[in-house]
Amino acid sequence: MKITLTVNDAAYPLDVEPRRVLADALRDDCGLTGTHLGCEQGVCGACTVLVDGEAVRSCLMLAVQCDGVPIRTVEGLAGADGEPHPLQRAFSAERGLQCGFCTPGFLMLAAGALEHDPALGEEEVAALVGSNLCRCTGYEPIRRAITRAARDHQNGQFHDRRQ
Amino acid sequence: MVDRWLRREDERLLTGAGRFVADLRVDGCLDAVFARSEVAHGVLREVDCSAAREVPGVAGAWSAADLPGLPPMPDAREGAATREWPSLVRDRVRYPGEALAVVLGDDRYRAEDGAARVRSRIDPLPAVVTAQEAAGLGHVALRGEAGRPIDDEVWEQAAVVVESSYRQQLLMPSPMECRTILCVPGGDRLTVWSGHQAPHRLRSELARLLDRPEESVRVVVPDTGGAFGSKSAVFPEFITVAWLAVRLGRPVRWIEDRRESLLVATRGRGQDQHVRLAADADGRLLAYELTVEADVGAYPHLGVAFPMQTAWMATGPYTTPQVHATVRSVLTNTMVTYPYRGAGRPEATSPLERTMDVLATRLHLDPAELRRRNLIPPERFPYRTPTGRTYDSGDHVAALDLALRTLDYDGWRAEQARRRADPAAPPVGIGLSCYVERSGGEKGSLHDYVGVEAGEDGGVVARCGAASSGQSHATVFPALVAETLGVEPARVRLIEGDTDELPGGVGSFGSRSAQIDGAGLQHAATLLIEEARERAARLWDLPVEETAWSDGAVHPVRGTAAMGLSELVKRTGPLRIDERYEADMAFPFGTHAAVVEVDPDLGAVRVLRLVAVDDCGRALDPAVVRGQAFGSVVQGLGQALYEGVPFGDDGVPLLGDGLLDYLLPTYAEIPPIELGETRTPTPRTPLGAKGAGESGCIGTPPAIVNAVADALRLDHPERLQMPLTPDVVWRAAA
Ligand code: FES
Ligand code: FES
Repeated sequence: MKITLTVNDAAYPLDVEPRRVLADALRDDCGLTGTHLGCEQGVCGACTVLVDGEAVRSCLMLAVQCDGVPIRTVEGLAGADGEPHPLQRAFSAERGLQCGFCTPGFLMLAAGALEHDPALGEEEVAALVGSNLCRCTGYEPIRRAITRAARDHQNGQFHDRRQ
Repeated sequence: MVDRWLRREDERLLTGAGRFVADLRVDGCLDAVFARSEVAHGVLREVDCSAAREVPGVAGAWSAADLPGLPPMPDAREGAATREWPSLVRDRVRYPGEALAVVLGDDRYRAEDGAARVRSRIDPLPAVVTAQEAAGLGHVALRGEAGRPIDDEVWEQAAVVVESSYRQQLLMPSPMECRTILCVPGGDRLTVWSGHQAPHRLRSELARLLDRPEESVRVVVPDTGGAFGSKSAVFPEFITVAWLAVRLGRPVRWIEDRRESLLVATRGRGQDQHVRLAADADGRLLAYELTVEADVGAYPHLGVAFPMQTAWMATGPYTTPQVHATVRSVLTNTMVTYPYRGAGRPEATSPLERTMDVLATRLHLDPAELRRRNLIPPERFPYRTPTGRTYDSGDHVAALDLALRTLDYDGWRAEQARRRADPAAPPVGIGLSCYVERSGGEKGSLHDYVGVEAGEDGGVVARCGAASSGQSHATVFPALVAETLGVEPARVRLIEGDTDELPGGVGSFGSRSAQIDGAGLQHAATLLIEEARERAARLWDLPVEETAWSDGAVHPVRGTAAMGLSELVKRTGPLRIDERYEADMAFPFGTHAAVVEVDPDLGAVRVLRLVAVDDCGRALDPAVVRGQAFGSVVQGLGQALYEGVPFGDDGVPLLGDGLLDYLLPTYAEIPPIELGETRTPTPRTPLGAKGAGESGCIGTPPAIVNAVADALRLDHPERLQMPLTPDVVWRAAA
């Protein structure tokens, strides 16, 4: 099927089989390998991307379902000027990553949540962190990172790409 | 951008610019998918790949019969009878998921289509998954012991003897990135990309298996998504993929998925244990005996000998005068066991620490006090154990005290007493675990290759045989070299994980990188300074003693004219130190403590507090060490409460729903965890670093289990076997 994926504001005209999973289309057809696959069964969340602003497990979605829908991946997280997203800064500052394999999933999950609700509370952050798997950090640094990014956001250090 | 990114790894990993093996694009690369056995054990009658070959986009499909030259797994073991481990099953399936055929496709979809059409016929045989059953069948691959047998008299005359049995369940290491290999033949060379812990070892093994010179194989380790011991070997799939890549003259890769990982990745632990612990009336330990029956999986291999680590470490942190440990490694019908974070030391710590708590109860002693009476005091180091280890240094009581203070041990004991007096209050329990581990490796792997090179541009390149899978080497090692040389860290960069860069290398496992490679890099930087001073002395026509080194430059002792590295290189030529650095093993230690609340009616365990006090000597980067310690504690929590591999009667693991069945801890399970450190450097290297990162897997599980036993006031704590699922706890409480 001919579709066009719009990823991080760039158009990728593709000819894909209907069964092709979004994650594979992003990684192999668009060359955006920042989205990782940790389980391919919807559990780990390493493959999380934003589809029309909603965090989805891209291993559970078909590429053809996303024809014409705006998609954001970790490659599109930094600002257009290359300025890192507050989440990216916060993950580094709080040591929210070790091997970095799970990281893009956590980043996109949190980015989606922050865009919906800039004033993420403790419980919301805990629920976010509890949605994905990380085998290295023990999660607490990830929680701190998201909390810090939310705080920075409220302090106005966050550039909302939708504005 | 030093202020923006705390680690050098961070920018690429946070922006999607990391490069893991699955991210590498090579033109014409074929994807390998394996058709796997659905039975655990059986006689293979037939494999038919013809339908697979008809699938569009399939480049080829082969069973063992189609590839007579395909080499089997190397058997690194000596001695006892060997059993060949073919890379594809020849006539007998011995573990579930064992590869029957390989299909190469233009991409993963085509290859999977092909694999789905491979037909096989297997006559099932009974599967044996426990060591006891298998030993009855004579499948003993290794017998070993540490220490000397203990006379009956000792047991007969002791005031108290505790006897108990424990199971160290099979665990899946579960790095978030499964195993990967990409083999690219070109000219007379083969380049292998793999998320791996020991690139040089992988190179020599592949070279030997493919019957080609080592120099013709290059192994490169790009970003690696965790390993925890599970990426340090050569695997049947690796051999098949490398062999086909060479034979076809085409790039081939295998990107393991989670489903196959749960079936066929190496597992950790896997021991049935029996212990006897004797003490006098004051609680002084007299003798300890540990019997290990290890279920090591379907084939004899390197992992067969790893339970000996448990035997050598059986003494633990105590002054017990007599310790005897015996090991039997038994072949079963599971994928093989292999090191998983802790590798042999969790299995040594857990039975001893659990039994210490039972002993304390029998003696009506506080468990902390019992430990205090027996911990090896600082003045007795180096301490030679009855099981043959010589511990380098330690202050165990200091670690215990810090853990008790951090936890508020007395406060929790008071709370426990209060709740015990109140029938409506849910019981709490407090558990301790004192551990000692071994880091650096065993004889034969207590070295690594290191190098430091100064460039004309003023930059410094550090090289070492380690390979990072999340341990921040690219940040930590340059900082250490920079500190030694007295230059800005930004001037130093690290090259590792590439066999073309160093004459040899050992890798990253057994908590060895900071201890051995770190000390080695410091040593190499020191040699570079000496060489620089000698060269400058010749230039200036001075005796070497009249030169000095400071802030990255050599200068005459009298006078001010300093010469930096870049100028020195310009004037005297390339300046590169390459060393094979050797050091001895070291023994990190610590105390972990847990407080739990148990609902006896539901069997639910709520961990209220975890404290982990670890001593790994000098920490190269304390924040990195803490990050490792924290993650390790959470893996230990996983073993204690959640993780395990259940089997059906047919010997197939009941993990069909993947990570919905194999329960890795999520954030929802993380209790408040507090870390503490004491610092007792190893005297065995000038650097003083001991290994870090495995402590949580070692110290945490018995602390949690002890806490649950304490909460339930169990007379027979051996009914509590990990993982402490609600079912297990409910039955134990009943
Ligand atoms: S890869 Fe999609 S959830 Fe794990
Ligand atoms: S950082 Fe390694 S899995 Fe999360």
